[in-house]
Amino acid sequence: MSSVNLEVLLQTLISGVLLGGLYALIALGMTIIMGVMKIINLAHGELMMVGMYIAFVLFSWLHIDPYLSVFIAAPALFVLGVGLQKFLINPVMKVDAILPENQVILTVGIGMVLANLATIIFQSDYRQTPVSYATKAWYLTDLWKGAPLELSLSFPWSVSFTIAVLITACLWFFLAKTDTGKSIRATAQDLDAALLMGVNVERMRVITFGLGSALVGAAGCLFIPIYYIYPDIGGQFTLISFVITILGGLGSTVGAILGGLILGLFESLTATYIGMGWAPVGRFMIFVAVLIFIPGGVASLLRSRKFGK
Amino acid sequence: MKRLLWVIAVLFVFTLLAVPVLAADTFDLVIPLPLTGKQAKFGEIMKRSYEMAAEEINAKGGVKGKKLALSFEDSAGKPETARAIVEKLIDVKKQPLIVGEYTSACAKAVAAVAEERKTPYLVVASADDAITKQNYKYVFRQNQVNDHYADAFTSFLKEVVKPKTIAILYESSAFGTSGSEAMERDAKKIGAQVVLNEKFETGAIDFKPLLSKVKAAQPEVIYSVSYANEAQLLMKQIKELRLDAKLFSGGAAGFAIPEFIEGAKDAAEYVVSATLWTTQLKYPGTKEFAEKYKAKYKDYPSYHGASAYAAVYVTADALKRAKDWTQDGIRDALKATDLKTAFGPVKFEDKEGYQNQNFAETLAIQVQKGEFETIWPKNHASKPYVYPVPSWKERR
Repeated sequence: MSSVNLEVLLQTLISGVLLGGLYALIALGMTIIMGVMKIINLAHGELMMVGMYIAFVLFSWLHIDPYLSVFIAAPALFVLGVGLQKFLINPVMKVDAILPENQVILTVGIGMVLANLATIIFQSDYRQTPVSYATKAWYLTDLWKGAPLELSLSFPWSVSFTIAVLITACLWFFLAKTDTGKSIRATAQDLDAALLMGVNVERMRVITFGLGSALVGAAGCLFIPIYYIYPDIGGQFTLISFVITILGGLGSTVGAILGGLILGLFESLTATYIGMGWAPVGRFMIFVAVLIFIPGGVASLLRSRKFGK
Repeated sequence: MKRLLWVIAVLFVFTLLAVPVLAADTFDLVIPLPLTGKQAKFGEIMKRSYEMAAEEINAKGGVKGKKLALSFEDSAGKPETARAIVEKLIDVKKQPLIVGEYTSACAKAVAAVAEERKTPYLVVASADDAITKQNYKYVFRQNQVNDHYADAFTSFLKEVVKPKTIAILYESSAFGTSGSEAMERDAKKIGAQVVLNEKFETGAIDFKPLLSKVKAAQPEVIYSVSYANEAQLLMKQIKELRLDAKLFSGGAAGFAIPEFIEGAKDAAEYVVSATLWTTQLKYPGTKEFAEKYKAKYKDYPSYHGASAYAAVYVTADALKRAKDWTQDGIRDALKATDLKTAFGPVKFEDKEGYQNQNFAETLAIQVQKGEFETIWPKNHASKPYVYPVPSWKERR
């Protein structure tokens, strides 16, 4: 392999990992909601849009860095998520409807309301936060003069990736070590057993929806320095997290992280070696292939190795 | 009570009498354009420009002693609405002339109605080639067609850059695809080899894998066709990768609007793009219009505004010369138009399969020190071009 080809490959892998890490964070929120409530939250991308607009408003009015907005947007989205679950989704879960999955349909409605509210408030203009470090990057040849290859690592992408990893670590700590976290996992694993063990399932649902919204709100803040925003942006991210949630194995957090990385790498490699126009096709080929060949997703593969089934 | 009724009745009769008297003092022109929906921004720019021109003309005494009274109808960028508006204008209001619309789809619909009812229609800012290629007698177009959009840019490539290799990146939309096809043809004409021709999805986030591939192919010129967001992301990520080329360029749209510089910042520096009009042109009235617009609305107008502004002057000029203000009288006057406007010279010609088409001169602009400067053709240049552009390493 010539050095040029190697350079292209390495640069593609770097891009893929960075993108995958961010994808994983977006999908995590959807995944934990999926795990506890057994529904796909189709307003997920719109919640991310709300997070992005919070970061945008804070940046353009108060000049708060989008990365600092994580600490404002995530709690705000938590409150929004709790409210949605408590006052809209929980009541609907109790209603006997003709359709079995009426909560899913409700999330579609919530998403539409959010997108249209954003259109009314912010118009359908494309906006961004012109941060000063938007195109800053580190270069291999700057750090190591005699480097045979030129690789670059984008500053905002790396920061976003690092924060995404930190948030994921915090989430893991929360789920694994705290009482509430354990109760959430118990609810996800077996709702009836959790109920019998004295877990307040309804409260766990509310907290989970809040947590899922907070995660995607944080992801929105991480995306805005490298991307742009408009009211209808939600759909594409709902789609991406949906694919990752399926790929990861419906409700498995580890699966979602791996799924995000796989999708990120897959998209980057497709863009380099097949053609960037094929990315959407590839995404859905993965989606269909996973449903057919590994219906349990990455999580089921991990489990079967661990227990030697 | 009876008395009051009488007073009202008398007033009513007077109002009825007064209306035709007032109407006789003005020439009413209702302009269809998008004021809501996705194209609302362009509709707004055009509305302001139409109004500015009408005010100026009226301040100088109007046309043949009559004031131009403009009003606007919102088509929301929907062809069926535009069609309905124009049908009403011609059939009910008996308006002898139609001016306006923005999107090509709307202009096409309006053109068909106008031709059918033998009413002259002046297209202001719709670029689809087909509009003036259908042997219509009553349809006139003031702005340049899509196919000639990049003429100045191509001549810049041919005479200055003389590239041997070129990479084309385009958005997977109708606009992106047609733009890339046009560039492919032009590249062949100037003897450049297209080493890479890649499309990307609208809304893509990460272009770096694609750009690494471009980097490996080492083209002399990189040409991209896309709307605003992708244009900015592309240039930002080109800078991040230190992807060097002798020239970075774009096919108008996303590369020729102020948002491009605001969003991409220093990554936008030295990018060359095709465009139809700039505020730096040396046509009579261009600078005055641009400055007046900026003073009033705090922003320079785009070519849409300039074309709208000029369209009112073209209309007034045709009305002045028309032997009568009938549909055919105005049509004949429009056909004979030879006017210098702030948008450039306007003359409606039949050639290359087009009818009543104004072949306006196109331009190439380059971002220099965070401003768009006109660089080509030379007689319009506001600053000399920078070529080849410095490498990213040198720019720090």
